[in-house]
Amino acid sequence: MRHQRSGEPADRRRRFEAIYATNCVPILGYALRRTANGDDAADVVAETFLTAWRRLDDVPPGGEARLWLYGVARNVLANHRRGERRRSELADRLRLDLAAAGRDRGYPDPAAADGTDLAAVAAAFRCLPEADRELLALVGWEGLDHGQIAAVLGCSRNAVRIRLHRARSRFAAAMADQPGPRRPGQRRSALAQLTNGDTP
Amino acid sequence: MNDIELIAQLSVISDAQAGHLVSDAARADLAERIMAVPVAAPRGRQAAERGRWPAVGRSWRRRRWAVTAGAAGLAAAGLVAAVLAGTVGSGGPRPNGPAVVGAQALAFVRHGRYIDVIVRNPLADPKKYRAEFRAHHLNVSLELIPVSPSLVGTVVYFGGSGTSAIRVITARGRCFTGGGGPICPVGLRVPVDFRGDAQLVFGRAARPGEKYESTASSTAPGEALHGLHIQGRHVSAVLVMIARRHVTVAVYHVTTAKGGELLRPGKVPGRWWVYGADPWAPGQVMLWVGATRTPPALGAGNPRTPVASPTPPASAG
Repeated sequence: MRHQRSGEPADRRRRFEAIYATNCVPILGYALRRTANGDDAADVVAETFLTAWRRLDDVPPGGEARLWLYGVARNVLANHRRGERRRSELADRLRLDLAAAGRDRGYPDPAAADGTDLAAVAAAFRCLPEADRELLALVGWEGLDHGQIAAVLGCSRNAVRIRLHRARSRFAAAMADQPGPRRPGQRRSALAQLTNGDTP
Repeated sequence: MNDIELIAQLSVISDAQAGHLVSDAARADLAERIMAVPVAAPRGRQAAERGRWPAVGRSWRRRRWAVTAGAAGLAAAGLVAAVLAGTVGSGGPRPNGPAVVGAQALAFVRHGRYIDVIVRNPLADPKKYRAEFRAHHLNVSLELIPVSPSLVGTVVYFGGSGTSAIRVITARGRCFTGGGGPICPVGLRVPVDFRGDAQLVFGRAARPGEKYESTASSTAPGEALHGLHIQGRHVSAVLVMIARRHVTVAVYHVTTAKGGELLRPGKVPGRWWVYGADPWAPGQVMLWVGATRTPPALGAGNPRTPVASPTPPASAG
């Protein structure tokens, strides 16, 4: 089943423009949060929307389009990590903007954050398997619920619930392993307590 | 501050901030360049390029059916069902009982331009599967993970590139997936000239004490609590009901307006209410409970603001 026929060139353009206008910034945000620099993020955005353009008939309607795009972007990032990165000339202009902005602002590196709180959290987060990090990030960064994550990852809502539970358990364990005194204002979660065998 | 809120703080940039980094002109430039890329490829080529999004030919809805609730399985009609049941099925010998030692882990049956792939040894090392696929010039990775009983033999995950060329063979009435309906996938049909890179995860029976990695509803046919009505009852009553099935609670998920937290057995009052149960491991469930008869709405009476943009209040697992 196709969602919508986009046979006519003008129709294709209109439909793509609508998807792009709604989702360009969220996908850019998604990419920037997961890449080390603006160049890589620009490539992820370009390749993600190029995929959407080529497979326009497969993009689901409404809000599900963004979940579909997150799923594509996730695959693009995975390919980049496997070394299949290509500098896309499509993203030249976007790359320039991001480079300029990067010089002005820089991208804060959680690992280099001043607050020891955040450094410990970042260290614990980095210890996790990639799949756990992505799952937790989709909740914490993109604010997705279980059903939405299931759509992004292509698994059942129930599987998401269980995997997320386990990812949180591993994160709690990793946090407990971080050296240094417990920071003021940081309360161990129930999961951390559970992992550490404390009485809740 | 809970763990998700901590993780939210690691977000280096919000969507709103990202939007300010690039000009409208740059965004428009990218869109124009993309739309200038020709898309009119021959049909066969297009099908091959669909790549990374699985089962594209039958599209989103079809894919979700194939991969999610139903996702069901390779409990393969006839041969595969027999193999799975005989080696790891819940009613068969022990999960770690005699597998097809030394034999091929997969069976490849050629039908013209297609190969039907059947799992003969569900406990084989994924590397062995990969090697056997590769021997047939197929770039497919296969993994079997412990799942709750009704999902044994089903497809849990189906991803990678070029998977649209792989067809899941379906049959009626051979599985109960607690939501997938009466039709379930029973095998895989791969084109002999498949050149994509597919990743497949199937469910196998869990060993004693081994946690499930994917589960159906605990009350679905074939599951530990099938036929029990536990929702809306007191915890104490449900504990008695499930004890008759020799099922215990591994952990409680306490649902609150903020999301939820986990409590170990012994920490939950018997007068609390049960909202549901998830299979946890053989003979164990995770019980969803709360202090009120019905689960509180997420965020109810808790008008706090998100700790870090762009994160709306997240539902906790």
